[in-house]
Amino acid sequence: MINSVRDLRISYGWTQAELGARVGVSRQAIIAIESDRHDPSLELAFRLAAVFKRPVEEVFTNAFTSAQSPSGTSQ
Amino acid sequence: MKDTKKAFTRYVWRTLLFMASYVLLNVSAIAGTVDHLSLPTLWLYSALVAFPIAAQIYVTLSLVRDSDEFVGALMAKRMIVAMGLTIALFSAWGFAESYAHAPHAPGWLTYPLFWALFGVTSPFVQSTKR
Repeated sequence: MINSVRDLRISYGWTQAELGARVGVSRQAIIAIESDRHDPSLELAFRLAAVFKRPVEEVFTNAFTSAQSPSGTSQ
Repeated sequence: MKDTKKAFTRYVWRTLLFMASYVLLNVSAIAGTVDHLSLPTLWLYSALVAFPIAAQIYVTLSLVRDSDEFVGALMAKRMIVAMGLTIALFSAWGFAESYAHAPHAPGWLTYPLFWALFGVTSPFVQSTKR
């Protein structure tokens, strides 16, 4: 899942551990999200969006909004 | 919110405790301290070996429950990989024993084999995605 967590975190001047503490996860979880090794749950995605004061779709790119249904057929 | 650091510290201490119990039981048996025991006592001793293993599974599941979603999912994935490989390898060896005259491997080896495989495979299981 494409996300801008790393860029946003750096723009706020936070370390990975600091961001983790703000959203209630470990530093490892933040590292994994930034390096695309973990897709966060909806709850964690909303927590991240909240600390960055941005809508969730600005933090996580929605790959399904480009006229594609979940089954892959055009709508 | 879950405190993964605290959960992991608790996991490490509990693991050390139950691993030490398991090793102690095995080392004392290998050293021959149980050789003179009666058959019913030996059965009891054998059952006792299962206790630290069952406790360790509980400890690991507690880590999955008490840590954050990434650490929990990663731990579960690593456990599944290690358990699957242990079952596969031991089953293959069992068949080799039955049909290819392979030397006998005692069943209690599965537990150390599982942890050895857990250690070997964990560096390759770094993602919860694939």
